[in-house]
Amino acid sequence: MLRAAGLTMTYPGGTTALAGLTVEVPAGSVGLVGANGAGKTTLFRLMLGLMPPSSGWIEVAGHNVAVDPVGVRSRLGYMPEHDCLPLDQTASDVVATFGELAGLPPRAARQRASDVLDLVGLDEARFRPVGGFSTGMRQRAKLAQAMVADPALVLLDEPTAGLDPVGREEMLELVGRLAGFGISVILATHLLDDVQRVCEHVVMIDAGHLVLAGPIDQLMQTTGVMRVEVGGRPGAVAALAEALTARGVAARRVDDHSLDVDTGPQGDATFDVVRDAVADERLRLYALSTRHRSLDDVFLQEAGR
Amino acid sequence: MTVVPPAASGAVYDRGYRPYDGPRGGRRHAMLALWRLSVRRALGLRRSWRQKVFPWSLLAIATVPAIVNVGIGYAIKDRPWDMPDFEFITYREYVGVSTALLLFVALTAPDVVCPDRAQRVLPLLFSRPLTGTDYVVAKVGAIAGVVFGFAMLPQVVLFVGQMLVSDGALDYFTDHAEVLWQVPAAVAVLALYYAAVGVALSSLTDRRIVGGVAILGLALVTSAVAGILQAAVDGDGTPLAVVNVLALPLEVRDLIFLGRLSDDSGLSGVPAGGVLAVGAYLTVLLASLSLLLHRYREVDL
Repeated sequence: MLRAAGLTMTYPGGTTALAGLTVEVPAGSVGLVGANGAGKTTLFRLMLGLMPPSSGWIEVAGHNVAVDPVGVRSRLGYMPEHDCLPLDQTASDVVATFGELAGLPPRAARQRASDVLDLVGLDEARFRPVGGFSTGMRQRAKLAQAMVADPALVLLDEPTAGLDPVGREEMLELVGRLAGFGISVILATHLLDDVQRVCEHVVMIDAGHLVLAGPIDQLMQTTGVMRVEVGGRPGAVAALAEALTARGVAARRVDDHSLDVDTGPQGDATFDVVRDAVADERLRLYALSTRHRSLDDVFLQEAGR
Repeated sequence: MTVVPPAASGAVYDRGYRPYDGPRGGRRHAMLALWRLSVRRALGLRRSWRQKVFPWSLLAIATVPAIVNVGIGYAIKDRPWDMPDFEFITYREYVGVSTALLLFVALTAPDVVCPDRAQRVLPLLFSRPLTGTDYVVAKVGAIAGVVFGFAMLPQVVLFVGQMLVSDGALDYFTDHAEVLWQVPAAVAVLALYYAAVGVALSSLTDRRIVGGVAILGLALVTSAVAGILQAAVDGDGTPLAVVNVLALPLEVRDLIFLGRLSDDSGLSGVPAGGVLAVGAYLTVLLASLSLLLHRYREVDL
């Protein structure tokens, strides 16, 4: 769905927002994760063909953006983070208008506006001006305009920003359903929990560089950690950590009774290694449990923080 | 034997999400959609009644002279004091009912561009297959189109009415055939100019009221300055009269109708005054469009 190679964007002021980004993500739900200023918005601008990159190339939904920077937008939907809807128009008019702007005939745009407003739960409010909407309703109206033209891909910029817990749950549920409609999603956020909830893939960028990219399940598996609690004699934790290191397994002391062990590429075989090391050191094994790290842990580790 | 009616039929369908596989337009379609949206906005369509009052009242007011002219012509027809071809307003003068049109532009031009920036709608518009040039063409085209319509409709009422109340409709038509191109040409010159200047000034601010005041202020200030300059040369024509930028389309109108500048023009008597007027007209028009293209060249998300 998105392919980029050597993508670099340096603004006239000298700020480099993206530095040689090379990434390929499949169709489906993809989380684009990075701190503020990481380059997420710049990547969106380049995907929408709003400016040419300083170097490199980018392909979105099968379109080379450099070849047809305007045409690629016919197949994209975009939901900005900030308020962006005309406040004095009804939700129905707004969504139908953006459907027409995306290329739909007027009658089809109005029909689809009705359908998608129904889908996002604004069917009863569709003839009310957007200016009277709550934050959650405005977010849903923004999502409706993004998907009204049945895009191949929607770009969602912080869709849960400013929402209360209930509104956030509803928005994530909607976003999670998009892939089932055949609409791919790129969800830009700094809230890793949101990505973990609704995305299948993640792309992490930091200061314009790619930190890592891949299926979330795989990342969580390969970066899993097990918590081991041992005792039986003083210095048990240090002794086990030393024994595991000698066996090629990374381990870190947590406190006087426990340590974290990276399962690493060996996966479940690491359990056997730990068991054997505990036995050889004649320690008492109190607990051995898998502790998958969150995406926050992965991001912080990979970004070197 | 009792016949049991079939159970009431009915079903609940989950419509779910339906993909769209119909036709899709490109840039041109998007530009036309934006044009339609802007025209609707300028006319107050699909908006509250308060937004409709001004444009439609203005159209009614602009049409009054034509109706009065035709009405008087009809009333005095076949009377002893019959005055053939009664006209208290000419087609040329009617194009110059520009104060009403200027007021219309001062209210509608800011209304179709300022909210896009103030409410941050621009990023969303430009995420569709639209370019900055398309945006400018759609917005200027919308205001120009509405002004053209508002200026043309009274002229059509006047022409058709005069033709019907005249002694010979065919004779009236043939005698006034030249206005069939002069009026649309002059009205187009005026509409495009007012729209470009009005939208360009409005694009400089997020606030509608500031945009409107800027348009009316430009008209008042340049008109006053031109008056002072003309007074300084004892009422004679002076090339400096071109500073009255909102009168320039009326100079071009006179060239279309009369083939020369009118006697009461500030440029009257100035050597090559017509060329100067056309040159100044084109300069202001192109400067306004250039400013707009620059303003909408790039949009931040």
